[in-house]
Amino acid sequence: MISVKNIQKSFGHNHVLKGIDFSLNKGDVVVILGPSGSGKTTILRCINFLERAEQGELTIGDIHVNLKHATSKEIHRIRKRSAFVFQNYALFNNKTALQNVMLSLTVARKVPVPEAAGIAKAALNKVGLSDKYDAYPSQLSGGQQQRVGIARAIAISPDVILFDEPTSALDPELIGEVLGVMKQLAHEGVTMIVVTHEMSFARDVATNVIFMDGGVIVEQGTPQAIFDNPKEDRTKQFLKRILLEEQ
Amino acid sequence: MNWEFIYRVGIIEAIKGVPVSLYVTFVSLLIALPLGFLCAITRFRRVPVLSELISVAVSFLRGTPLVVQIFIVYAGFPSILNYMVQTFNWNFDAFSINPYVYAFFVFSLNVTATLTEVFRSALSAVGKDQAEAARSVGLNAFQANCHIIIPQALVSAIPNICNEFLNLFKSTSLVYMMTIQDITGKLRIAASAGYNYTEAYIVIFIVYFLLGFGMEKLFQRIENNMKRYKALPQT
Ligand SMILES: Nc1ncnc2c1ncn2[C@@H]1O[C@H](COP(=O)(O)OP(=O)(O)OP(=O)(O)O)[C@@H](O)[C@H]1O
Ligand SMILES: [Mg+2]
Repeated sequence: MISVKNIQKSFGHNHVLKGIDFSLNKGDVVVILGPSGSGKTTILRCINFLERAEQGELTIGDIHVNLKHATSKEIHRIRKRSAFVFQNYALFNNKTALQNVMLSLTVARKVPVPEAAGIAKAALNKVGLSDKYDAYPSQLSGGQQQRVGIARAIAISPDVILFDEPTSALDPELIGEVLGVMKQLAHEGVTMIVVTHEMSFARDVATNVIFMDGGVIVEQGTPQAIFDNPKEDRTKQFLKRILLEEQ
Repeated sequence: MNWEFIYRVGIIEAIKGVPVSLYVTFVSLLIALPLGFLCAITRFRRVPVLSELISVAVSFLRGTPLVVQIFIVYAGFPSILNYMVQTFNWNFDAFSINPYVYAFFVFSLNVTATLTEVFRSALSAVGKDQAEAARSVGLNAFQANCHIIIPQALVSAIPNICNEFLNLFKSTSLVYMMTIQDITGKLRIAASAGYNYTEAYIVIFIVYFLLGFGMEKLFQRIENNMKRYKALPQT
């Protein structure tokens, strides 16, 4: 089980997250929707300690930490159990695809190199990059880079993977290959929290959809409940606008 | 034009001076590379006090003419030392210090100043996302620096280091001021016998041109090789 409680975060006077609560079970796929600037990225970054929240609790499995006071040891334990997939891929430019995936195993987790190489190759095979082990990020397309990013995340068998708009930097024709990999992971029971604007993904894959605006969760529920029967006006307006944009 | 001087004396003296010039260049660079890198890290991490001191020293070294620095170090320092020797009755000859010591001192400090800036901008050119991704996969700050940030910074600094090598090699032609017989030093001595200075400087010009041209071609190949393997970070 993964849960966050009462995340509060400000940048200067800008109160970005005003008490975020949600939880998910093993195998759940939570999709977070919301207008630009509503704080979606900030939630994920707080959960991964890339940003320090002013308040909040995080539970991943049997690990329970305070988001404000967590020690570096606790942060390390959380990072061992969760993985982040970045909007701009953020692959290590000086490492090949295989090295990108292996690094967290060999360096952060002290897995012996042969074993780590085996795990990393399996992860790359899974995302369809069995022929790109030795390619540097600059030699890969955006879609391929993001799939390496996903391989880097799954290689550590995390309890949860955090996706921050994984397809929004991609050319339209490359979005499908990345969403395809994510769907496959969902079917295999990988727990994910996904920030995205891909409505079809939210509808087909999510077990739970969260709509947020202005630093608060406005509404959450099953995809059917949110898309077919939204209760809040803000949700209705947002969905109307998104659906118009998609046409 | 005394052609006889150029190819009977000039060329031979110049070739004898080449190892000396290269020696001063290499030793100064070898001292400056680690020193410049440490200074860059200090500046980059904004270590209090040290960072500001380095910043001032760098501005000072880069903002004053090399010739003046050489003069101050080579002529000024021994006089001050000599004054102290006499005042305190030390048993030491202030004018006996090997001129190479002064040369390495001046040149390595100057190159350190430049390389500090080179490495510092290379470090800040490494994308912020690289450090974040490293932390996110569980690397600590030290591991992130060793595996990701520093290797990328070093690679992107290589073109500038090559450039600085060439600049340094050319500036070492001033070591003759400290009685070191490099290419320029050897030829000035040879020229003084028959007052063949014009011829001597033509030889110096040609030798530096050929060596500099060769180095530039060599560096271009190194850089192209790195690009071929796409090891250079993309921005
Ligand atoms: N490092 C930062 N410093 C200052 N303000 C920040 C920082 N990061 C985010 N913000 C502010 O926090 C608010 C929420 O940003 P966030 O990136 O979480 O939004 P988002 O929902 O992910 O938006 P988008 O859909 O555009 O990615 C914005 O007003 C943004 O300007
Ligand atoms: Mg965002």
